[in-house]
Amino acid sequence: MWTDLHRRGFLQSMAGGLCGASLASLLGDSVFAGTPAHSDMPYTSLSPRQPHFPVRAQSVIHLYMNGGPSQMDLFDPKPMLDKLHGTKHYDKIAGEIENLSSAGAIMRSPFKFAQYGQSGMWVSEVMPHFARHVDDVAIIRSMQTTNITHEPAVYIMQSGKMGPGNPTVGSWVVYGLGSENQNLPAYVVLDDPQGLPINGIENWQAGFLPQQFQGTRFRSTGSPVLNLHPDNARPADVEAIERAVLTARDRQHLQERHGDPRLAARIASYELAARMQLAASEALDLSQETAHTEAMYGIDNEVTASYGRRCLIARRLVERGVRFVQLYINQQIWDHHSNLEEGLRSACTRTDLPIAGLLEDLKQRGLLDSTLIIWGGEFGRLPIAQLSGNDAKRSGRDHNKNAFCCWLAGAGIKRGTVYGETDELGFSAVNGQVSVPDWHATLLHLVGLDYDRLYLTRDGLNERLTGVHPARVVTEVLA
Amino acid sequence: MRISAGLGMRLLVTVEFPRFCRSITLAAACSCIGHVGAVLVASLGVVAASEPLDRPGAKAALTAPLFETSVLPILQAKCVRCHGGEVRKADLDLRTAASLLAGGESGAVVEPQKPTESLLFERILDGSMPPDAEDADRLSEAQIEQIRGWIAAGAVSQRSLSADSGGGSPEENSFHAVLPILLRHCTVCHGPRVHEADLDLHTYAQFMRGGKSGPIVQAGDPERSLIVQRIAAHEMPPIDRLIEVSVKQVDVSELETIRSWIAAGAREGDVVADTAGNESDLLVTDQDRDFWSFRAPVRAVPPVVTGVDPVRNAVDAFVLAQLESRRLSFAAPADRATLLRRVCFDLLGIPPSPEQLASFLEDRDPLAYEKLVDQLLASPDYGERWGRVWLDVAGYADSDGKREQDLARPYAWRYRDYVIRAFNRDKPYDQFLQQQLAGDELADYSATPQLTDAHYDNLVATGFLRMAPDPTWRNVTNFIPDRLDVIADEIDILGSSVMGLTIKCARCHSHKFDPLPQRDYYRLISIFKGAFDEYDWMKSNWDSRLSEGQRIQRELPCNRPEERVPWEAAKAKVDQQLEILREVLRARTASDTQRYVEQRIAKFPSEQRSDLLAMLATPQANRSPAQLDLAKQFEAQLTISQRELRKLDAEYEKFLLDTESQMEQLEKDLPPEPTIHALWDRGDPSPTYLYRRGDFQLPGRLIGPGVPSVLTDGRTPFVVEPPWPGASSTGRRLAFARWLTHPDHPLTARVFVNRIWKHHFGAGLVRTLDNFGKVGSPPSHPELLDWLARDFVAHDWSVKRLHRLLVTSTTYRQSSMVAAEVKQLDPENVHLSRMPSQRLSADQLYDALLWVAGQLDPRRGGAPDGVELRNDGLTTPRRGSAGWRRSIYLQQQRKVVVTHLETFDFPAMNPNCSERHDSTVATQALYLWNNGMVEELAEHFADRVVELAADTPESQVEVAHRIALGRPATATELKTGVTALRDLTEAWEAYDARLVGSEPVAPAGSMPRTAVVRALSNWCHAILNSAEFLYVD
Repeated sequence: MWTDLHRRGFLQSMAGGLCGASLASLLGDSVFAGTPAHSDMPYTSLSPRQPHFPVRAQSVIHLYMNGGPSQMDLFDPKPMLDKLHGTKHYDKIAGEIENLSSAGAIMRSPFKFAQYGQSGMWVSEVMPHFARHVDDVAIIRSMQTTNITHEPAVYIMQSGKMGPGNPTVGSWVVYGLGSENQNLPAYVVLDDPQGLPINGIENWQAGFLPQQFQGTRFRSTGSPVLNLHPDNARPADVEAIERAVLTARDRQHLQERHGDPRLAARIASYELAARMQLAASEALDLSQETAHTEAMYGIDNEVTASYGRRCLIARRLVERGVRFVQLYINQQIWDHHSNLEEGLRSACTRTDLPIAGLLEDLKQRGLLDSTLIIWGGEFGRLPIAQLSGNDAKRSGRDHNKNAFCCWLAGAGIKRGTVYGETDELGFSAVNGQVSVPDWHATLLHLVGLDYDRLYLTRDGLNERLTGVHPARVVTEVLA
Repeated sequence: MRISAGLGMRLLVTVEFPRFCRSITLAAACSCIGHVGAVLVASLGVVAASEPLDRPGAKAALTAPLFETSVLPILQAKCVRCHGGEVRKADLDLRTAASLLAGGESGAVVEPQKPTESLLFERILDGSMPPDAEDADRLSEAQIEQIRGWIAAGAVSQRSLSADSGGGSPEENSFHAVLPILLRHCTVCHGPRVHEADLDLHTYAQFMRGGKSGPIVQAGDPERSLIVQRIAAHEMPPIDRLIEVSVKQVDVSELETIRSWIAAGAREGDVVADTAGNESDLLVTDQDRDFWSFRAPVRAVPPVVTGVDPVRNAVDAFVLAQLESRRLSFAAPADRATLLRRVCFDLLGIPPSPEQLASFLEDRDPLAYEKLVDQLLASPDYGERWGRVWLDVAGYADSDGKREQDLARPYAWRYRDYVIRAFNRDKPYDQFLQQQLAGDELADYSATPQLTDAHYDNLVATGFLRMAPDPTWRNVTNFIPDRLDVIADEIDILGSSVMGLTIKCARCHSHKFDPLPQRDYYRLISIFKGAFDEYDWMKSNWDSRLSEGQRIQRELPCNRPEERVPWEAAKAKVDQQLEILREVLRARTASDTQRYVEQRIAKFPSEQRSDLLAMLATPQANRSPAQLDLAKQFEAQLTISQRELRKLDAEYEKFLLDTESQMEQLEKDLPPEPTIHALWDRGDPSPTYLYRRGDFQLPGRLIGPGVPSVLTDGRTPFVVEPPWPGASSTGRRLAFARWLTHPDHPLTARVFVNRIWKHHFGAGLVRTLDNFGKVGSPPSHPELLDWLARDFVAHDWSVKRLHRLLVTSTTYRQSSMVAAEVKQLDPENVHLSRMPSQRLSADQLYDALLWVAGQLDPRRGGAPDGVELRNDGLTTPRRGSAGWRRSIYLQQQRKVVVTHLETFDFPAMNPNCSERHDSTVATQALYLWNNGMVEELAEHFADRVVELAADTPESQVEVAHRIALGRPATATELKTGVTALRDLTEAWEAYDARLVGSEPVAPAGSMPRTAVVRALSNWCHAILNSAEFLYVD
């Protein structure tokens, strides 16, 4: 068997695709595929739709910080921890601790905090680059969730519910708004080549929404989309002849069946696949970027290159009208059960400069006014130490559902805001609590969707991202 | 939300929510639609909680207007006709204060003291109630004011005042006030299975008896009761063991409840579980029962039709009658090749063979088709095709899901094989259901030392109830809510897929559309309690970190000799190999250690050496004083631990690691001990409480086993008996399974025949396969549905017979290609004016690709075939020696889904899939066009064509059509096919010519494929990509 002939030649041969199929047959468009016989028919196309409110953010970049970043070591300084350092506390919060056997005493932050920008926002020393952008950011210090175990907590943060099978935020956004770019997926996931985050592909599932609202994984190196190119490339003219054979047969087949719309849609999907080969390759081709830009994202540095590349790709996708871009880091880099000091420093080193570069680049291109950036994980961490042997330097912090920080930047955001308050130890939010449904309602609001009106009716129940209870849009962080 | 106890009086439920929302009022509503009497009072407590009567405000209430005198007369005159005894619109009963305060479907209608937040007042005020009222029916301003005044003064009634002085539900005044708390926090260690400190808290008698330290309760004196002391001191439950047993700390309010129950005398009380009685049910009326799907199917007489179309059986008569009434008729019959391809995919899931095609086209017997159908139904491929349909229903998966470590279920496949076997043997559907729902109670499997085939099938079948995603094998995801979610998923699977009811909606509140009170959900829960007990939970036992003793066996041992014997032999062999490795390691460790010790001794003065050696050789106890002295000085430096040795000697370290990895591999290669992934009743289940708002921390009324009232006459108790004399099993599920498979059951047969119908005809007669309730679609052919259901049951629930009936009908044999006018008259094909063309499912496409390529490995059953996850996310099945087996035998891990299947809409089982939906997305095109496996299969397909065809392009084109598309090629296709092959060959020849001298055409070692064969492969690849291959007419 022959392998690996010229792969590129194939792409050039794609230009002469089928014509006639409507542009409304977008990526994943199955508008024709089977019409439900009952009402409450879900959207099945990606054509742009009317929002509920004026749109503040055209696009969203979700910097998902899997693992649970420590709020009191990053954005929510707690001097009381210094005072009470070493004091036994675990018996007061035993029910909230996942690993009781390793629960230690109250632990101060190993990092120094300082105030930055006009807003005077406190940021820890491990995020020096982010600190330069605090005036473009609103931080919520009073996030709360309902589970202290990664998998369920991640499901909640991504989809509002505690298990798999429910649409994620990106799916809902794209479901509600459709897509601006018909040659690229509307919801793109940039996962880490080093591995998937916890819950894997379930992080971008469409759940009970139609499949086209699922996130599409783009790889930041190599061929960007699975099966985008043949495993064994065929010579361009062979490819062209084969395609002509297929086209002729499919058209004949369609004609004999009186233009069955499902079959027309299928022909269109082959066309779109061909266009996507070009569009996706172009969007991910970083060779057009200057060395200066690459440096801004840290692509010139081994430690920051991987995340920096994803940040830069995110900008390029947003520029091309992709609605929702989600960035992941492998595994649980924020999950510091031990070695918090070293681990948190390392997680920040990998991401701080690239994120700052992204904010800066979007701003200089005017895209920060139409793009919403969100940063956060699934929960926060406890004010007490989680012990790791006898070496205090190796201590970490266990999970905490009662308080964590998320931030928003860019479109529609009241910049330079700190919202919400935790108790003196940072254990629990005590003022302006923001639940996950509130967070979701706020995100939807920013893209022009009313959480209460964005639903799919299943068996008589209006299924919403925010569940059956009312949620609150956190207007305090909105411009 | 917390429960707090009003001291001595009654339980008050205060609701602490971040926001006061509609769901709270809902809670009040659903907790009390249950029963008159006691529950009503309990629910009153809930509603009144915003201003409890035993607080200061209560005094004022004594002078407030009373419901009975100021409001009831108005309601009786204006409202009760629709919101009363006979009719209870919106589930609202305005006949008593309690029922009014209980609210209705939308939740509470009265917020005491807040008229403007009370729906009752608002609706009357804005004129929307009474609806469409004549002037005379409207309330006068004075009457409206009277209602406002009553609410503003606190919505007081005589009944609530008297309840205040010694009321409360029986549960609240009984052991059931505290038992849920004990179940939540204590009984895992002090309960029926484990009695630490000789203490068992799960019954009143045992509770009062106390444990090792004597009685734990001093009735009337909580502070001197050991149980209160230990909990108050945070000694119990011990905080360092909370995670180990997945228990939370006792809440202050919970302790308060225990205190007040003890203070009130720690009485057992007298509580009778709510079950169906002989009196008519107040919650579900006969009017509710009068809905088509809740009435038993009626056997209709097939109509007489007038047209010329052939009516082959009753199906045709019903369908044609409806068509004729719309001035439509059957479409022309499909041609034989089309029909053959259709029925092969339909019954077997794979295309017809060229031989089948040839013989069927030539068979002039008028019953050729019927003969063919019988042959197909007898093929073992049939069970694999239709077993898959049921596995979707069951939510089959080979892993637990929900956790990052997607724990494998190594023996789930037994259930898959059971299902395939059941279809192949045409197991009657009633037996099929009984085995899956109550196989463990059908026969006493523990009575014989070895499982018989019947026992084996019975037990394996219960795997149906063990298919839901389940994270409870880990302590941190094994808390009560996690367990309740697993149970809820199983009930959902059963309710939607088997019963056609969205029963799951009634977990937190009464169903919004169907007459399914929340009570009925918990009656159903009670049926399953013997096996699904959230307070007595079995974790799955594959957690390798647990030692044997710690594991609770959730799998039944499979002691069938045909598996047990080879497994034990394999295990013995592995143990032996392990022992050899260990021995080699021991020897090597000893000799290396010895060598280093000798080296060290060699550094001592020579006169000391022999003494040292002698000392080391003498056991501690036998040493002389001189040796002891010597040991004290030098033994430490002459002792080399393994850890030290590893640091000293790199070679040893390498050897050790190698050996360890060999040992690990040996252990890994040994399959886990054969077990059965089953569900069984363990007897003596915990009580079932109605959970208000679905919250286990808000237990309401005690509920007994029962079935949805709307599916009964409402006057017949649900009888449960032990399955055999002396059984520990409760027999509840068996009673349920027998009820469900009663010949007159309104739903069971209808739901099933509708599902089978859907898979033949593209859509169900009821289009919402899993919702036969009021929100579901009504049947397009109600009489046909009933006729089929009756006929199915009358013929011993034979599934194969049902298939035969459907696929031999004229309806089924219609062409899918009809004129545009017909499509306009029947756009959705509701009247079956044609056969719909259908896309192959993910599995059918996968199997068909393999089949066409001649790469379908025919082996059946057993452990699933592994899949490989490539770095870029592509997940592909591993090839075996004879190709790939059908997709039903692929390992179905929840988190690693084969790309092919995922791309073509294979469902994620969360928890199951009642109906798949086809999408048409670009990733499908990318997959079929670019994927390496598809390309490889196209090459195999081409090889097969070469083998079967004469050595001419015409013959190859013809054969390829027959293999892949199940029909001869047309003249045009022959011509264009030959041209395409010629063009492709020329393109490859030109390509080869360009490459001559520069690089090899094929990698070394592989057979070079000629330009002609490559051309044929490309052309075959196009055929596999074509719509005609993917769709069945």
